[in-house]
Amino acid sequence: GDSWGIFTFLCAALCNLPALPALNCSEELGTSQSIQQTYDLTRYLEHQLRTLAGTYLNYLGPPFNEPDFNPPRLARAERVPSATVDLDLWRGLTDNARLAANYRAYSRLLCYLRVLDGQVGTAELRHRLAHFCASLQGLVLSIGGVMSSLGYPLPAGPPAPPGAPPASNDFLKKMDDFWLLKELQTWLWRSAKDFNRLKKKVPPAVVTLRLEARGF
Amino acid sequence: MFSRWNWVACGFCLLLNICSLEGGLVQSCGHIIPESPVLALGSNFTALCILNESCLDFGNIYASQIIWKIKNRVVPKEQYREINRTVSSVTFNDTSSLATPLTCNILADGQFEQNIYGITITVGLPPEKPKNLSCIVHQLSQLTYPMTCTWNPGRHTFLDTQFRLKYRWARESFPDCIPTDVNNSCTIPDIHFFVNLEIWVEAANALGKAESDPLVLDPIDIVKPLSPHNLSVNSGILPTVLKLSWENRISDPVMKLKFNIRYRIAGDTNWMEVPPEDTASPRTSFSVQGLRPYTEYVFSIRCMKEDGVGYWSDWSEEKTGITTEDKPSKGPPLWRIIDACHSAAFWTVHLIWKALKPYEANGVILQYELTVRDKSSLSSPLEKFNVTSTNLTLQLPNGTYEVTVIARNSAGASPPSVLLIPASNSKAPVKNLRTLPKYDKLWVGWTAPNSYVLKYVIEWCLVSSRSDCIIEWQTALGDVQGIDLKGIKPFKCYLITVYPLYADGQGSGQSVKAYLKQDRPSKGPTVQTKKVGKAEAVLTWNHLTVDEQNGFIRNYTILYKTIDGNETVVTVDPSKTEYTLSSLTSDTLYTVRMMASTDNGSRSGPDFTFTTQKFGKGEIEAIVVPVCLAFLLIVLLAVLFCFNKRDLIKKHIWPMVPDPSKSNIAQWSPQVPAKHNFSSKDQMYPEGSFTDVSVVEIEADDKKSFSEQDLKPFDLLKKEKSTSEGHSSGIGGSSCMSSPRQSVSDSDDGETTQNTSSTVQYSTVVLNGYRDQTPVQVFSRSESTQPLLDSEERSEDHTGEGDSTAERQQYFRQNGGQDETNADRPCFERTKQITHANEGDLVGFVQLQIAGQSSQPLGLGMEKNTQEAALSNVLQASTEGQTVRPETVEENPLSVDEMPKSYLPQTVRQGGYMPQ
Repeated sequence: GDSWGIFTFLCAALCNLPALPALNCSEELGTSQSIQQTYDLTRYLEHQLRTLAGTYLNYLGPPFNEPDFNPPRLARAERVPSATVDLDLWRGLTDNARLAANYRAYSRLLCYLRVLDGQVGTAELRHRLAHFCASLQGLVLSIGGVMSSLGYPLPAGPPAPPGAPPASNDFLKKMDDFWLLKELQTWLWRSAKDFNRLKKKVPPAVVTLRLEARGF
Repeated sequence: MFSRWNWVACGFCLLLNICSLEGGLVQSCGHIIPESPVLALGSNFTALCILNESCLDFGNIYASQIIWKIKNRVVPKEQYREINRTVSSVTFNDTSSLATPLTCNILADGQFEQNIYGITITVGLPPEKPKNLSCIVHQLSQLTYPMTCTWNPGRHTFLDTQFRLKYRWARESFPDCIPTDVNNSCTIPDIHFFVNLEIWVEAANALGKAESDPLVLDPIDIVKPLSPHNLSVNSGILPTVLKLSWENRISDPVMKLKFNIRYRIAGDTNWMEVPPEDTASPRTSFSVQGLRPYTEYVFSIRCMKEDGVGYWSDWSEEKTGITTEDKPSKGPPLWRIIDACHSAAFWTVHLIWKALKPYEANGVILQYELTVRDKSSLSSPLEKFNVTSTNLTLQLPNGTYEVTVIARNSAGASPPSVLLIPASNSKAPVKNLRTLPKYDKLWVGWTAPNSYVLKYVIEWCLVSSRSDCIIEWQTALGDVQGIDLKGIKPFKCYLITVYPLYADGQGSGQSVKAYLKQDRPSKGPTVQTKKVGKAEAVLTWNHLTVDEQNGFIRNYTILYKTIDGNETVVTVDPSKTEYTLSSLTSDTLYTVRMMASTDNGSRSGPDFTFTTQKFGKGEIEAIVVPVCLAFLLIVLLAVLFCFNKRDLIKKHIWPMVPDPSKSNIAQWSPQVPAKHNFSSKDQMYPEGSFTDVSVVEIEADDKKSFSEQDLKPFDLLKKEKSTSEGHSSGIGGSSCMSSPRQSVSDSDDGETTQNTSSTVQYSTVVLNGYRDQTPVQVFSRSESTQPLLDSEERSEDHTGEGDSTAERQQYFRQNGGQDETNADRPCFERTKQITHANEGDLVGFVQLQIAGQSSQPLGLGMEKNTQEAALSNVLQASTEGQTVRPETVEENPLSVDEMPKSYLPQTVRQGGYMPQ
């Protein structure tokens, strides 16, 4: 009698398995997938930026295209969100905070980048910059998507770019561009780490369970 | 009339227009709503024609006068509706019946149709929902990724329909992609990866708008990457490995790749593939293993996203590489041919071996190393040969040898191939050797001998009468019992021999002849007769040459017939070259031909005709011999009869001739006593004297009168005689053989013939005698001629004629006529000359007489100088010879008694025969 009862229970449990986790996991799966996609995108942007930055710095000319060129960060460059936060401190933040920080930073960076785009002389570089901008726009959207799928509220729209006076001379402007690219690189590098970490946090076990259930 | 109405109508029309011009520049007398509608096919449609008030007054026209027209066709009134005085509507239930233009007309004064307004109608369909939207991202360069989407635009709408490919991110839209020239695809030039894109197609025209189902995807999942490029192939350290390296044209952060590598042996068409799991991770090089040494390979590679989502790239360009050399994997197959004409003590051994196949040689074979060891004597040294060709001819003393051959290339030497050449092939042969054609190959099968066989050697060669049998060969392992021979030509005879090779010797070869494919012979046998008989004929032919056979000759067929008869068919064993046709009809023309048949048909040779003989062998002999014998027998019997009845015959044909000496005439001559002695061979009366008798009588001159009277009846005879021979031969011809027989047979018919012959003799003798010799006593002889005998028998006849001296003269005249040339002198004078003739002359005469008839001795004529003797001789010499003599002598006295009476008539009768 008991054994029959147990068997029936198990059967019922198994029968319900496919329905329940599938329903519950579709959201989880979407999140995991979009985190992976966002991670891929940051890597892709990193890759793009690497070539783009090289080309652009060459376009700026010396000394910006020298490998060991490391100018001091000017005060006026502070308007570009800096990624130079202590790593431990950064790690100590919540996912939400980090995602929000990423979201805000890329939104700001994108604005500056679009300004940059309009100034570039060569069509090829402009095309690549446009492509990069579009992709970066995608990243902002992706981060937003991840945040919403994780149930975090989206930060408020990017504040209007501070009305910093345009660079008085060409060199300073070039310096701004240099720092913009440099900060972008840092942000992308750190974002990749973030999403990689986040990717691990969203358990792939759910995916496994779902697959098993399907298989059953 | 009609043209005038037209003018009137035009004038009215002009008025209406002017009227409208007055009302305003573009104002007409009415208009239609809707203006230029676009209608859905199959829907219903209503149009209104509204007349202007101003025109109503002027033209006195109303809505009830409106006529609707499609092109030039009036729309039925049932579809009209007069809404008020100035508005008329028309309704169409199905727009498919519509055409452009739809005009509103008015019937002015009930007669003239005037166009008021017209509209253009466009009928079409609303767009369908585009279906089957799919997209692909083609990589064009390292950074260029255009996305092409295609869809099914649906049915034709008959209207200008715009398709737009729309795509957007979650919160950001992009400009639409508008296809150019086509309506089912569009290419977005730049695409961004790793962000989900929503894509759909919108179709819109005047009748509506439709959207496809949206497609949501990350473009990275639909990429068809460029194939890897700069493929290079390098040979590795191992002879079985080649290392490939290449460059990917899509960077790792964009897409991780997996690969497919395919390869084939150069010249081969079948590709092999590296197991996909070995190349399922990103890489730029790969070592392909398990290749054959010293072989050229062709490689090609393609890639796709590592997770298998998306599309495979095209195959890359092909690159070739050659593996390094390796030692030959096996020794060359070895065999020998021992010349048949070897001397007792020495062999000429042709060692032959096959070049290794490329996959066995594993490189370039530099040389072959052979060793020959005499196994019969242990002490004999090992002979070594290094050759580059694939054969070696040795002169070896009889014995058992072990030959090994090694092939060597730059990488090393092959294992040795060993062949034992025993002193004799004494071991068991294979059994049950057979062949079977298999498409283009010939299968040779056999049953293995009982003992263990190392391997088999199969020799084969094309049997041809034109060339020698060039031996081809191949080896087979000891455990197989059949192989396929390749390169066998159809319709050719092959001689196949199988030798089993044992560890300690060699079995004798078993041979079989085979065809891959048989055909009918290329020509038929040429048949001839060897001998033709009455009812049978021996036919002979040659075998077809092996080149002409095209297959195994299963039988020969002989077909023969007479010209109009049925064909008879005989089947003959193929080993025969001769056949006897029997039961033929004699003396008949036969046509015979011969057909050689293989399994696949037959062919006839040329026709041959012959005629059977009329008589069989010995048949003629069987007829001729008895006939001859019978003839001889009859002759013999006749002769015997003649002999037995000679008295009777004589009586009838050759009656007794009276003795002239006892004749009355004898008394006319003073030499009568001498004539009494004629039986005693007195020289005074040689035979010539007898002839003289006739001559004497040939005194008559009137030859003409005679010929007129008496010669005529005998003309025929005369001719015969005259044509036959000269006088001397006449004597012969009438003698012995002919005369007696004639006499016998003719005796019954009448005396004329008998007389003729006898008379001829006389007369002829006389003539000859007359010419050659000198006649002696003419008168005495003349009385002793045969007419005397006739006179005895036919006294009555003679008496009737006897008085005619003229006839007698004619007779003589006749005789003399023949000798006219030399008969100038009177006959009497000539007869006298005979007496002076010497004895030699006389003998010559006798001889002359007898010569043609018999071999009567000369002496006979000599003994019988009397005329009787000569006569009897002439008559009977051939049969009886001298025995006749006494009788003739005895007869003389008998005839003498009767002579006087018949003398004259006799001459008359004789005259009838004389013409000869």
